[in-house]
Amino acid sequence: MLWRKMLRDLKDNRGSYIACIIVMVIGLMVFTTFSMVMDNLNLSKDTFYFNQNFADGFADIQAMPYSKIEDLRNIEGIREIQGRLIKDVRVLIPGREDNIYLRLVSTDPKIDKPVNGVALERGISLDEEKMNIWIDNNFFAANGLELNDEIQIIAEGKKRSLSIVGVGSSPEFVYAMRTTSDLFPKPEEFGIAYMPYKVMEGLFQERATVNNIVFTLKADGQYKNIEDLLKPELESYGLLTMYPRKDQASNIILSTELEQLKNMGTSLPLLFLSVASVILYIMLKRMIENQRGQIGVMKALGYTNREIIAHYMSYALVIGLAGGLLGGVLGVALARPFTNMYQMYFNMPDLSSGFSPAAIIEGVLLGLVFALFAGYRGCRKVLTLQPAEAMRPNAPIAGKAVLLEKIEFFWNMLTVQGKMAVRNMFRHKGRSAFIIVGIMFAFALLGSCWSMWELSEQMLFDQYEKVEVYDVKISLNRPVDQDSVERELKSFPGVKRLESKAEIPATLKYKWNKKDVVILGLPADSELHRISDDDGNRLFTTPYGIMLSNRLAQLLGAEVGSSIIFESMMAKDPDFRYELEVTAIVPQYMGVNAYMDLEYLQSVLNQGEIVTTLMLSMDQEKVTDLRTEYHNSVGISGIEDRNKMLMQLKELMATYSATIYIMLLIGIIVGFAIIYNSSVITVSERSRELASMMVLGMTSKEVLSVVTFEQWFLSIFGMLAGIPLTKLLLVALAQSLSNDVYSMPSSFGSMTLIVGFVITVASIWIAQRAAASKIKALHIADVLKAGE
Amino acid sequence: METLIKARNIGKYYQMGEVTVKALQGASFEIYRGEFVVILGPSGSGKSTLLNTIGGMDTVSDGELYYLNTALHNADSHKLTNYRRNNVGFVFQFYNLIPSLTAYENISLSAEIASNPYSVAEMLEKVGLSDRATHFPAQLSGGEQQRIALARAVVKNPDILLCDEPTGALDFDTSIQVLRLLKDFCENSGKTVILITHNNAIAKIAERTFYLKDGKLVNIETHDNPLPPEKVTW
Repeated sequence: MLWRKMLRDLKDNRGSYIACIIVMVIGLMVFTTFSMVMDNLNLSKDTFYFNQNFADGFADIQAMPYSKIEDLRNIEGIREIQGRLIKDVRVLIPGREDNIYLRLVSTDPKIDKPVNGVALERGISLDEEKMNIWIDNNFFAANGLELNDEIQIIAEGKKRSLSIVGVGSSPEFVYAMRTTSDLFPKPEEFGIAYMPYKVMEGLFQERATVNNIVFTLKADGQYKNIEDLLKPELESYGLLTMYPRKDQASNIILSTELEQLKNMGTSLPLLFLSVASVILYIMLKRMIENQRGQIGVMKALGYTNREIIAHYMSYALVIGLAGGLLGGVLGVALARPFTNMYQMYFNMPDLSSGFSPAAIIEGVLLGLVFALFAGYRGCRKVLTLQPAEAMRPNAPIAGKAVLLEKIEFFWNMLTVQGKMAVRNMFRHKGRSAFIIVGIMFAFALLGSCWSMWELSEQMLFDQYEKVEVYDVKISLNRPVDQDSVERELKSFPGVKRLESKAEIPATLKYKWNKKDVVILGLPADSELHRISDDDGNRLFTTPYGIMLSNRLAQLLGAEVGSSIIFESMMAKDPDFRYELEVTAIVPQYMGVNAYMDLEYLQSVLNQGEIVTTLMLSMDQEKVTDLRTEYHNSVGISGIEDRNKMLMQLKELMATYSATIYIMLLIGIIVGFAIIYNSSVITVSERSRELASMMVLGMTSKEVLSVVTFEQWFLSIFGMLAGIPLTKLLLVALAQSLSNDVYSMPSSFGSMTLIVGFVITVASIWIAQRAAASKIKALHIADVLKAGE
Repeated sequence: METLIKARNIGKYYQMGEVTVKALQGASFEIYRGEFVVILGPSGSGKSTLLNTIGGMDTVSDGELYYLNTALHNADSHKLTNYRRNNVGFVFQFYNLIPSLTAYENISLSAEIASNPYSVAEMLEKVGLSDRATHFPAQLSGGEQQRIALARAVVKNPDILLCDEPTGALDFDTSIQVLRLLKDFCENSGKTVILITHNNAIAKIAERTFYLKDGKLVNIETHDNPLPPEKVTW
């Protein structure tokens, strides 16, 4: 019988319970989706890394004899070590004007299980005697290629034809970006090709040399120890960088993404489940208060406390089960498209999403734990209720004057309804606190969502609209003499301004911290790469010292005035080590860089007036001519058009907008659930009071105003409290989302507050309309006739 | 006659701030199996307090109270729950039916936890409401609700039926119907009925009347020839 009672009670208050279930479903859906996607990613990552023998360490060198690798094999702790040639080449696809690149990676077909081996999807083995390649599956698909197609590349200034004999992927290029400034993989513009070492050395005239080394460790091997032993061996061959797996570009992005998934998959569900639990707790507590007579009867009939508690816990059980099942099932359903989305970015062969009963069960259990905990807290009062006492109506809450009554000016301003509302807020402190906290969360959720959107835009567009304001950027293959290259380009038709830039790989050290970065050497009066401080004021490089991006300063623990050590393989002196004073810390959202005056950097390196990049301001219609002219030059590795870059960014942002809308919708649902439930509780608890007011001749609108006044009043405080919480959330998000590719700022503007405010107010208003119908439905006579 | 309830100097005190309110004090009495007892007294005389202690809904502050050989004065809540579950049936002035359960279900609610209950359908028939089985409390008149409440109390087959002003909210004719049902239950099944009221006329149907005033049991009156309910007027 009690089950029937429970089901009917749930049905009578379905609005409130559904709102509660929805909040719970959202939480569990996010939990299930994220944990499944994370499991899928982790599983395919681990399998892929293991099966393809992913390297534990990497080193880039200028050139080292292939035969030297054999000697390195003897270093204690190394399991396998291999030397490779890696070169980026331009691809010529008829009808395509944009820059298309392939990264050629040499491989030795004789080795059975090479380090960073390719997982071949289809095709045949590579022939050491032929110009044949395996190509990465994403590039293959994005460019509509077929097996046995020939593709044209420019190698060493000459056009060459390569035959595609296989398609596959490698753990080294799960997230394949040509440079870190690319932000995301563009498989139609950049891909990886694997070719036999023998063919490749011939193609580039690199007789029996390698420029890249990869190695794996023995079970007891430590990367740090190997680094210490290997570094001196490689230095004489022009060691550029050496890094462990954890610093490998593709692995960083994949690991960061997994870390973010884990953070979001924990914090978001926790937030929603907490809100749902509080709603459930308050609803059950209210029901226990309303049904104290019924509890008294049950006790009088001889029902034990345990039976009665079990009865009221069954409400929580149903809510938990419904929320858990629905959330779990939706989560599993959502995991598939999410995993597919990840498949677009992370190229792993076994990345797929199956049906996971375990994930649903986990969701249900989590839902039950939260619901039953809230349920027990809500109904434990049953235990203390004496049957005789339960039969009597609850003693009215002590009606003493509230603090606000002392502020006479304020108090006198209020209508009688207003006074009722104010007193009510103070008498039900727990519920008032719930409204404030709930609105605070809804506001902060909305505000931080919006802010994230704005900040992402700011991050991306500031970089290309305010900082890097050239029209075209030409990247050079190797450092060249500034004067000669400027002379060549200055006279090109349409060029209005030309500036050179040196991008120098370096290691910066401060105290016990060190970081490998690229130092940008900029002309003192650069107009095409404009650095500004936090307030937007222009900063100019000084003829001494170094400026650090804020994230770099934070990573090094350095501040203005700190003396940092600058080391670079690009300097003339092989033991180069230079002390520099930090002159400024500049905001930089994209990448992690340091800035120096170009002339000063050139003099410090002592390699002459070298530059690596040219920035041009020029007539847009002449850009194509420039591209045609220099497209195939040996010395040029890339020609970037800023307008095109901006367009791509805008497309990327458009794909994010769906996520933002969903988050905003979630914020609205939370706000709605909180206000709707608090309204329904108020109406049912105070139905006699509200009905009496209607008997006195008040309209339902006037009666509603008592309830709404209370909510608006509390919501204002909730929204105010939401402002610091928004800031807190943004700081936490910025910390968890920032990496070497982006540094997320945590500031927010007035628009964030306006959006947070407007949407919160809208969700409150909608919830109040829904609650108004409950007041209209009050049957005055019945309510007043009902026994105490 | 077998003594069902035995009270020795029982009292119930409530602390209200610094004042101790003595809702019941020094009451001693015995109630026998199969007896119809009316507890009479004005508002605030301690009637409900007495009924609650006899029914195991509340504990006494003082004295000794027994059901057969079971001490109720020092029973823990578990023991009291068992006592209510197996031995006592309650009928309240405002019926206290569960609004979300039908008439039939309200009676079943009680039958489900009893060890030797009557049939629910039979009870419904006895109170003359078989045709109302699927009605919710809100669809029943006051008299009908009270008859369902009575059926709910009796279906458990308890030794004692405790009725707190069962006719207090009913019109005269309906009140007589309810009293008749109570009387039948007492006479036909040999069960004890204890009824509290402030209506002197009802006292005439009882075998004994306990008079309460200011929390004290002032008099116990025995009627050798109690009236049938139909003969009572007010």
